[in-house]
Amino acid sequence: MPLRVSIRSVAVATALIFVGTASLGAGLSAADSVKARQQHFKELGGAAKAIGEQFKSGAPDPAIVKAQAAKLSQLAATLPTWFPAGSGPAAGVKTRALPLIWSDASGFSTAAQNLATETSKLNGLAASGNLAGAGAQMQAVGAACGGCHKKYRGPEA
Amino acid sequence: MAISERGVRVWDLSVRLTHWLIAVLVGFSWWSAKANHLPWHRLSGDLILGLLLFRLIWGVVGSQTARFSEFVRGPAAIMRYVRGGGFAGNGHNPLGALSVIALIATLSLQVGLGLFSVDEDGLEPGPLSKFVDFDTGRAIAHLHHMVFNVLLALVGAHLIAIAIYELRRKRLLLPMITGRVDAAESTSAPRFAPAWLAIAIAAIAGAIAWLIAHGLKLSGAI
Repeated sequence: MPLRVSIRSVAVATALIFVGTASLGAGLSAADSVKARQQHFKELGGAAKAIGEQFKSGAPDPAIVKAQAAKLSQLAATLPTWFPAGSGPAAGVKTRALPLIWSDASGFSTAAQNLATETSKLNGLAASGNLAGAGAQMQAVGAACGGCHKKYRGPEA
Repeated sequence: MAISERGVRVWDLSVRLTHWLIAVLVGFSWWSAKANHLPWHRLSGDLILGLLLFRLIWGVVGSQTARFSEFVRGPAAIMRYVRGGGFAGNGHNPLGALSVIALIATLSLQVGLGLFSVDEDGLEPGPLSKFVDFDTGRAIAHLHHMVFNVLLALVGAHLIAIAIYELRRKRLLLPMITGRVDAAESTSAPRFAPAWLAIAIAAIAGAIAWLIAHGLKLSGAI
């Protein structure tokens, strides 16, 4: 008798694998999302620090400002994806991301969009070689960072 | 003449001024950090840096009661004082000297860490943070946070000690304001360094602090 595999058993096995993988994935993903998110914000902070140093030096290097402004802008554009549903404190992970990010999704989206807009302006100014404009634009970028942090980031533990 | 009905002068203006300015600025630094006013926090730290530099130099070449060599004593002298051996000199007693050294050392460490600290947004970092990367600067900022608690404990001990002395009728607070103690409390008048020396050292300390506050950037600084 040929080995028969019923459609039903295949379906059950597939479902089990799917559920198992999904739950495993969900369990890992909250912590992984937080870790990835923190890494992204460190990159943002690093780029902001690098640009600030250029302007404080009194003789900013256009190449560095341009490269870091591009990096800031690219990172800012992807920021909304750093906050997948279920990566907040409710998932039991240590994070300063406040639940308000998900409960006030439209407000958070506006704040994130604001950063994307301001960094995009910065990138445009830096790319066109307008260093004075880029230096001034850093104020708006900083304000966009702060505006979101004030509302959606919890205090340092 | 230092001995008069107004008492004996023990603390010069330099010591009193640095003491009270540092006390006020440490409080302001705490508040400005808490309120996230980082530009003010940095300015406050820069000023404390200048005051510390002045006090360290003044502790070597300044007035007698300001000099470390005059008041820093070994364990034997400290134990003798703690056991009730008394203290006949002017200025810091052997035990109080420990408090002075601990406070100055911790504050120096705290200011030093602040210079290299990076805020989490990377927007308002310390003036020497360009010499470290973002992650290192963040680690230093966390240390800066921890050392503040050590400083707070030392300030607390300092205040409690003053309260205990005051309760035992040894005046410490008023002399740090007026510079004078009752004539009965002192047998000799300490030697004082001239005002021009204080001004010259203040200029040097201020210049060094200014350079550090501007990231040791010599070009275009003047």
